[in-house]
Amino acid sequence: MEGRKMDEAPAPKRAKIVSEGTPKPIDNSTGNTMSGFKRDRQGNEKRFNNGPRPAPKPKVAVRNAYTPMFEQLRDELDAHHDRRDRLGKVSRDVTGLSKKIIFALQRVRTINPDLPPQIQAEVDSRLAEISKLLAVMAPDVQGINRYRYSRSLMCLEELAEALTFAHYLKTQTLLKPEELSAFVEELTRQGAVVSEEKEKDKDEPMPDASNTPAPAAASGHREATGNDPEPAENEQQQHQSELEPPIMSTTEDDYLYGVFDLSGEMMRFATTSTALTGKMAGAEDERTIVEDMHELGSFFEMLPTKAGDRKQWEKKLDVMRQSVRKVERLGYDRKIRGSERPQGWVPDLTVDQPGEDEE
Amino acid sequence: MAPPMIDPALFDQLKENIEKDGSIRKDLEQIIEELNQNVSYTQGVLSKVHSTPRSKYPALLSQVEGGIKKELETTTRLSRFASQHPYYKYNYKWGRTLQDGIATVLLCAWLGGMGSDSKPGEVGRLLTLEEVGEVFGVPVNLKDRDAFHITIEEYLLALISVIEDLSRLAMNSVTLGDTELAVQISGFVKDLHGGFQMLNLKNDILRKRTDSVKYAVKKVEDVVYDLSLRNLIPAKEAQ
Repeated sequence: MEGRKMDEAPAPKRAKIVSEGTPKPIDNSTGNTMSGFKRDRQGNEKRFNNGPRPAPKPKVAVRNAYTPMFEQLRDELDAHHDRRDRLGKVSRDVTGLSKKIIFALQRVRTINPDLPPQIQAEVDSRLAEISKLLAVMAPDVQGINRYRYSRSLMCLEELAEALTFAHYLKTQTLLKPEELSAFVEELTRQGAVVSEEKEKDKDEPMPDASNTPAPAAASGHREATGNDPEPAENEQQQHQSELEPPIMSTTEDDYLYGVFDLSGEMMRFATTSTALTGKMAGAEDERTIVEDMHELGSFFEMLPTKAGDRKQWEKKLDVMRQSVRKVERLGYDRKIRGSERPQGWVPDLTVDQPGEDEE
Repeated sequence: MAPPMIDPALFDQLKENIEKDGSIRKDLEQIIEELNQNVSYTQGVLSKVHSTPRSKYPALLSQVEGGIKKELETTTRLSRFASQHPYYKYNYKWGRTLQDGIATVLLCAWLGGMGSDSKPGEVGRLLTLEEVGEVFGVPVNLKDRDAFHITIEEYLLALISVIEDLSRLAMNSVTLGDTELAVQISGFVKDLHGGFQMLNLKNDILRKRTDSVKYAVKKVEDVVYDLSLRNLIPAKEAQ
């Protein structure tokens, strides 16, 4: 026994080939003499090294009568989860951009139809980014899916806040829900055009949207936005000769909760602008931001509590009440102490001076 | 004169919409409450199965089907009403109740009820999502239009309730001397467990409820183990 091992050990490979490898090269029985696999120096098949391997057996999952049904349901659920994840990610970006717009707007000091140019430029560039993102999201939220993914679309509240705030700073009025819808729709459309120009050959996989005839119909009562969106749509249909791009619609909840948050921004704006300019924002002789806040406050106090998430509504209402209180305090301070200020007096901004009129 | 801060018409518009939304919810709640009563009655009747020998199933099941008929009528009303509004805006309100209703239909059919001329009732029959939709007379897994329907999640959640109920029945059927039924349930529950394992679940209600399926499997396995230990498994099923 010992001896046999010793004999074979030194050259095991060569010994094997000599003994059994010779008949292989001329084995015609299979019919594939020259092609299909490589041979090594001895002419043996190298099938298991480089040549085409036999297909590995698929992993056999335990299958039963219900497996196909579950596979089908799984695919549907996966599509749903993917869509929700996609929306959530983009939505976070839109929220971030909207917040940046709000920060930029907080650097405005007066209510004026024209925002300071550098701020307007920043707002515009952020909006351009947002419009692209909206166009990305729009196909996933058509028809029945609009409310399905409402919770993944919290960004629209933030966007509503930014847009109503910008509108207030320009006009000293509250943006209407129809105007908000029209604006967001227009943004989506612009975003769609931009991304279309970028990659012409991209065929978007609008999963569930393909069957909805008119996305505008999904926004129901908000169709009363006037006639301006209509011609724009037609134009696009013409020079795209394709289906109209799906539109991102806003709901009344997006609007209402956006306006709730607007009250906080107005409070912040009132505080800084009063501290830095010494004047109450607004048309001084007619209406100041104090009155606007009071009006907004009463507006929400008079509205019935929105069913659904009552807790959230109450909470927002409470925060808004506090904002109103803060601004009316500002108005009072301004009345009392403002008169003591010499005409044209402006706080010296070169010295770090926390606004004396602030609470 | 500058325009007012808030357009006077806006308040009325919003108030009206909020009130409309509130009254829709109230009407829905009324229908759902009725459905709830139908469902809990049917569940009550179905609970008798745990003490009913198989020979008396037909009588019990026809009583169950009576309850289900009421469920279907109420669901039709719910469907008509809910289809006038965005489906996913309100569907959370009836989800739970409808799931329970679907579960009664699934269990009844599994026990051999819900037979039709084309498909006679038979113990062990699982209705698919599409078949459940046909029973309720509503669409399922709707994607191309916004109307009332039964969702995949609702179907799967209902199925989990049925599995839990069957795992209990496995035990009780042994008590009643019907070991064959226990073995059949065991096979069914294990097959479905395999099915649920194929799903890629997110951390949501469906995942939480799916966790309970494995306990149901354990429960029926234990019953079958007890039976096989004592050679009580019927010969034809043992193979």
